[in-house]
Amino acid sequence: MNQQELDKKLSEVKNKLTGIERKSDKRIYLLCEVQNSYAINKFLFEGVGCRFVIATGIDSDNCFEVLYHYSYDETGCVITIKAFIRDRKQPAIESLTPFLPAAEWIEREIHDVLGIDFKNHPNLRRLILADDWPAGVYPLRKDLPKAN
Amino acid sequence: MNWKVWSLKKSPWVFHVNAGACNNCDIEVVDLLTPKFDVERFGIKLVGSPRHADALLVTGVGTRQAAKRLQEVYRQTPKPCVVFAIGACACGTGIFSNGYHVVGPVDKIIKEVDPNAIIAYVPGCPPKPEAMISGVVKALSAL
Repeated sequence: MNQQELDKKLSEVKNKLTGIERKSDKRIYLLCEVQNSYAINKFLFEGVGCRFVIATGIDSDNCFEVLYHYSYDETGCVITIKAFIRDRKQPAIESLTPFLPAAEWIEREIHDVLGIDFKNHPNLRRLILADDWPAGVYPLRKDLPKAN
Repeated sequence: MNWKVWSLKKSPWVFHVNAGACNNCDIEVVDLLTPKFDVERFGIKLVGSPRHADALLVTGVGTRQAAKRLQEVYRQTPKPCVVFAIGACACGTGIFSNGYHVVGPVDKIIKEVDPNAIIAYVPGCPPKPEAMISGVVKALSAL
């Protein structure tokens, strides 16, 4: 599948997206709301056959963002799914781990530092914070009070 | 000089502790043992247990999780012992000083359990193997 065919394939999920940002030929952002993230990820991983690279969490201006980065190795195209979580009180998103085991640890890490709940995650234990770190304090949130 | 200090200086066995380092200092510590520098010719030997060690080579900033482990390792090291803070992070937390997980630097963590601990500082990011050898020589000649 070359780049044009990949673009055509991606347009199959157009109705689930809120926008497509094309930074260059080989860097594509697919913007979506949180409820569509699972379906789009599943499509990209199982339907298109992209390779999962990593996920990122961001405490953005008035929402949380979870970014899933995929690589389509045949053309070297990097595709990022950017899911917006508007609920700042109880941020939650569907976990990808049931069909994508590689996402397990990075989802645990994002849960640790940003407090985003990954629904249906099989093992959402603490991963990187210290054992005595207080529960419910998320160090990478912008509203965290400064310690010193 | 009492015999304990004499034997420490004659052949200091070192135990390597990573207290949250990025692995760069650790690689330079391993460099010390390779044929180019080969510190075993000075009697400096890396050992597998703090109970066999005369000196601790501590790398890393001293994270919240590692601090207690570092104190326990220090407790288990026979005294007198020298603590070497290797690298900018261990010496003064470096660029991570305001990080949420940082309780270091290393000297502060050690001094919580032993205010009279002997601590030597080898700055650098990472320090050259020559700098570490120089640090060891200076620390041992000050004993």
